[in-house]
Amino acid sequence: MDYVFQFGAVWQDFDKLLLGAWLTVRLSAITMVLGLAVGILGAVGKGSRSRLLRGLVEGYVEAIRNTPFLVQLLFVYLGLPAAGLKLSPEQAALLAMVVNLGAYATEIVRAGIEAVPRGQVEAGRALGLGPYQIFRLVVLMPALRVVFPALASQFILVMLASSVVSVISAEELTAVADTIVARNFRSFEFYLVVTGIYLVLTLAFQSVFALIERRLFGRWAGHT
Amino acid sequence: MIRDFTLGEVWFLVLALRWTLLLTAVAFVGGGVVGLGVAVARISADRLPRGIAIAYIKLFQGTPLLMQLYLVYFGATFLGLEANAWVAAALALTLYTSAFLGEIWRGCIQAIPRGQWDAGRALALGPVAQLRLVILPQALRIAIPPTVGFLVQVLKGTSLASIIGFTELTRAAQIVNNATFRPFIVYAIVAALYFACCWPLSRLSWRLEPRLDRAPANRRPPWNTAGSAAVG
Amino acid sequence: MATRMIVTVLALMALVLPSHAQTVDDIIKRGKLIVGVNTTTPIFGLMGKDGQPEGYDPDVARLMGKYLGVPVEFVSVTGANRIPTLLTGKVDVLICLFGITPERALQVAYSIPYASEAATLVGPGSRNVKSIDDLKGLKVGVPRGAMQDLLLSPVAADKGITLQRFDDEATGLQALISGQVDLAGTGLLVYRTLNRNDPGKSYEVKVVLRELHFGIGMRRGATDLLQWTNTFLYFIKNNGELDAISRKWRELPLGNLPVF
Repeated sequence: MDYVFQFGAVWQDFDKLLLGAWLTVRLSAITMVLGLAVGILGAVGKGSRSRLLRGLVEGYVEAIRNTPFLVQLLFVYLGLPAAGLKLSPEQAALLAMVVNLGAYATEIVRAGIEAVPRGQVEAGRALGLGPYQIFRLVVLMPALRVVFPALASQFILVMLASSVVSVISAEELTAVADTIVARNFRSFEFYLVVTGIYLVLTLAFQSVFALIERRLFGRWAGHT
Repeated sequence: MIRDFTLGEVWFLVLALRWTLLLTAVAFVGGGVVGLGVAVARISADRLPRGIAIAYIKLFQGTPLLMQLYLVYFGATFLGLEANAWVAAALALTLYTSAFLGEIWRGCIQAIPRGQWDAGRALALGPVAQLRLVILPQALRIAIPPTVGFLVQVLKGTSLASIIGFTELTRAAQIVNNATFRPFIVYAIVAALYFACCWPLSRLSWRLEPRLDRAPANRRPPWNTAGSAAVG
Repeated sequence: MATRMIVTVLALMALVLPSHAQTVDDIIKRGKLIVGVNTTTPIFGLMGKDGQPEGYDPDVARLMGKYLGVPVEFVSVTGANRIPTLLTGKVDVLICLFGITPERALQVAYSIPYASEAATLVGPGSRNVKSIDDLKGLKVGVPRGAMQDLLLSPVAADKGITLQRFDDEATGLQALISGQVDLAGTGLLVYRTLNRNDPGKSYEVKVVLRELHFGIGMRRGATDLLQWTNTFLYFIKNNGELDAISRKWRELPLGNLPVF
């Protein structure tokens, strides 16, 4: 087998890879913020008294969780224009990622909310807090604290899933590697290094999450 | 040779679904066998197997499935395998599944109270027999819901095999699309087909969820006194 | 300890030792010809109703198998993975809209051309573009590593072109039809099939970036196979079989193909 490894080719284009990784980080970070927001709204909707609202949220969650992300992405980028919505590759990627994360976040946040003892809510009312304050201080923050690890895991999964958006030409890390490999055919070397970069990104995000957990939840971080 | 979108195309998509299901089954069975080994290594008292298992799990949980597919596809020939897209997809998904199932099952094994291990030892069973006869049957019950849940993930994961050229359902969608140019309806039908396969599994996973109090995390076999290493 | 060293050395040797150069006899002895084809490009390679590839390239592959006396097994390849697929031994030859360039010839050996095409940019009739300079401010979808990518990437920034790279030509065409890009990189003839399926837009070739020819690709060093393939192509050019394929799929006669 006359294949000679040439990792030098990877170092030559390393700056391009880093540029792609930067888009990955940006896409992922924005998705995490927006996806969490969608998740919180969805979790509230799922606890609503309106059967219609509950049904809609459940329908959304199940539709997303039971179909592959790639198909959702292709539908947003190639299918939606037929219905009048044309998005750029980056916008389509962001929309698909947020919609995807939002469904999982809804379930996770919902579980967290249900873990808050009822007595807490009553105590809040007894202290004269308004419904919005009760939700924010007594329900939401403790809920997020409980499910923070699950949320962090899901965030990492979304960041890793972003490699798929290379298919619709968004120039994140995988796409940049694909383009370079299409010209110099050093597939194994490049994808090995790119995998290493994703590992580094995973560790970096995990560290950031650990930091956020400590800052937000102080001495309750990690306790159940 | 562009065709109109007819029932013939829908049938082509349904037939491609066979390959999705076959790939899922192969990855799940293979991944289950290897995953059991990963789980056992993960709880071992010996630092070497435990360390390897932890690194293995961290590797597959910390990198994109697409990259794992690419590496196996482009790298398999270096190991002397006459690989094609089908073999590469099956191998990559098997390894991926084994890492995640290993981690899930480790959690289930560790959820069994320590007293059970001690009871086994009191009955003069060695550690392997304790695991096999006392712990695993109980862990199995807890393990079924998350395992079935992960089966759904594997099924969805097969869609990425389309990118390395394996003709499962998602690639079939692209092929039909290139022949008919009707992306909206093609991807809608394909999404519905995936949903039809995943939804029953998801529901099954919920139904099997036992309404138990989950035991706290500090349950280890008595000989494993190493610090609890959090994975991921 | 010694066993481990021996195994490591053997493994390293496997990485470095050259493979057995493939001859025609090897293929005949094996009993089948494995051909890498594209299955997502109109005219040259699509998946037929029966699940077998159909098009100009698959027909040439089947002719090749006929003259070798062995059946043909098809492997779907994409623009991005075709060369690694060939070099790592997964296919014997590539017949997949493989444009002949000296850069690629550093990696593969080409046969004489068996088809002519051009790297073009296609768009709707309403789009007023005649040359690369008219592309300013427009979105152009091209397949990664294809001629359009190689020609436009160096000048895209200066000329104000937004280049979007897709994994294959077909996705770029879908992006064109969805309106996601203003022009798409493809060949000379695809505009006909675009018009058939998306009527009313009058798709046409806007810019011809470069004329090119397709060759059958094989591993460098497979000189025996290369010689036979050139003989085979000379023959089917002469006896009209290749012209028949051209008329069937491109609806055009074969025309004059250069030889080298």
